[in-house]
Amino acid sequence: MSHPSDDELVDLAVGDADDPERAAHVAGCDTCSAAVEQLRRTAQLVSGTRTYAAWQAPADDVWARVTAELDAELDAETDAESDTRTDTRTDTRTDTRTDTRTEIGAAADAKTRADAEADADAGGGTDAHTPRVADAPSVVSPVTAPAPATVTRLDRRTRRRAAGWAAGLVAASLVVGLLVGRAIWSPDTDGQVAQVALSTLDTRQRGGEATLVRAADGLDLNVATARPLDAGDGYLEVWLINADGKRMVSIGVLQPGESGTFPVTQALIDQGYVIVDISKEQFDDKPAHSGDSLLRGRLPA
Amino acid sequence: MHVHDDPDVESAELAARLSGGDREALAEMYRRWSPLVHTIALRSLGTREDAEDVVQQVFVAAWRGRETLRPDRGSPAAWLVGIAKHRIADVRTQRYRTHRNLQALATEAVTEAPAPDDSDWAERLLLVHELERMGDPRATVLRMAFIEDRTQDEIARALDMPLGTVKSHVRRGLIELRDRLKEVERVSSE
Repeated sequence: MSHPSDDELVDLAVGDADDPERAAHVAGCDTCSAAVEQLRRTAQLVSGTRTYAAWQAPADDVWARVTAELDAELDAETDAESDTRTDTRTDTRTDTRTDTRTEIGAAADAKTRADAEADADAGGGTDAHTPRVADAPSVVSPVTAPAPATVTRLDRRTRRRAAGWAAGLVAASLVVGLLVGRAIWSPDTDGQVAQVALSTLDTRQRGGEATLVRAADGLDLNVATARPLDAGDGYLEVWLINADGKRMVSIGVLQPGESGTFPVTQALIDQGYVIVDISKEQFDDKPAHSGDSLLRGRLPA
Repeated sequence: MHVHDDPDVESAELAARLSGGDREALAEMYRRWSPLVHTIALRSLGTREDAEDVVQQVFVAAWRGRETLRPDRGSPAAWLVGIAKHRIADVRTQRYRTHRNLQALATEAVTEAPAPDDSDWAERLLLVHELERMGDPRATVLRMAFIEDRTQDEIARALDMPLGTVKSHVRRGLIELRDRLKEVERVSSE
């Protein structure tokens, strides 16, 4: 006798079959009895879904962490290319980083979470963590899950070309700065440590500039936008996201249409907090990143 | 409960876009399925910290492994849940190692292997999700048959539906759910 159809196997699994010959076949056939067993287990799991809690969305900043990690990887790939390193090496390095992260995450369970900013400022923290609202699990239905900012991966040729435009855009934004009566950055480049263009996440359109400069008492991050960002009903917050995509610290609030100077520390940079991110935040009870990033750029090492 | 126009076609398109390297498709998947992945991780691991790390890892892994997504295997939800199962197992193993190392320092006693995840959160919550998106009357028939444990005759009478139709919904529905679980199994055992 040939194997029963899927439909007939379901009938057997739910006890709705009345063909002894078929039942006998299944009993003696490993493939068929495994299939029936699988269907029974499925039915059993469905019956166990009687009680379940509502869906719980992750905190809003998790999407920002995902894109930051992927962007860091993209940058690493680009670096690897220009250094004529192979993709394999990049992959290996990435994997190692993932493993380490998992270990840090698990080990940290035993500890009280230290405030990320305090840790980073103290300069010793290898376990600075993303600020989050651990005690207030937000119950959100899948429908109201936050709309994450999106990133389109440009092909590398485009990225290179974009770099070529940089000089022109620098001049252009300087003109904008002068027009609004405000220098976007100091023409005196003494003490400039690193500089990066800030771009939108979706179209990679350049919208500002962040410059790390040495100040009398540490480092300052100067942030300027080419045109005022729309904060809506909320406000603009400036973050440094760690290259590991796992940690971030808020460094302050940016007034729309103005440039801002934010004191940071060398320790923070050394720890890998090199991705400058401007987010749109609401006046709400969530101190973490909203996930709504307007501009972002990674400071060169 | 609302019925989608055609969730399968929509999901298959999304899967094809992701495997083609479209980051917007990843964002759309995150919008749709991060609550599913997060709830599974939260139930399995107990802490929000670990659960959110798992969500992050799952969507990063989804991007890196987008070539392994098989648009023909139905909803990418099962694929994501398979990845999540893998990550959750990693966290459990890591916790066990940490625990064992601490134990070894304290007493040098050999501790037991990590408790197997016998709660099946990944599978159960995926099925809850699949029943939600399946639409009626099939989802209702399956709920009555397997959660309320009613016979097909009772269901036919209660829903004023021919017995053959009830039978067909049970068959197709159970096979569909079985296929989702197979996909979870395939991905999580890789």
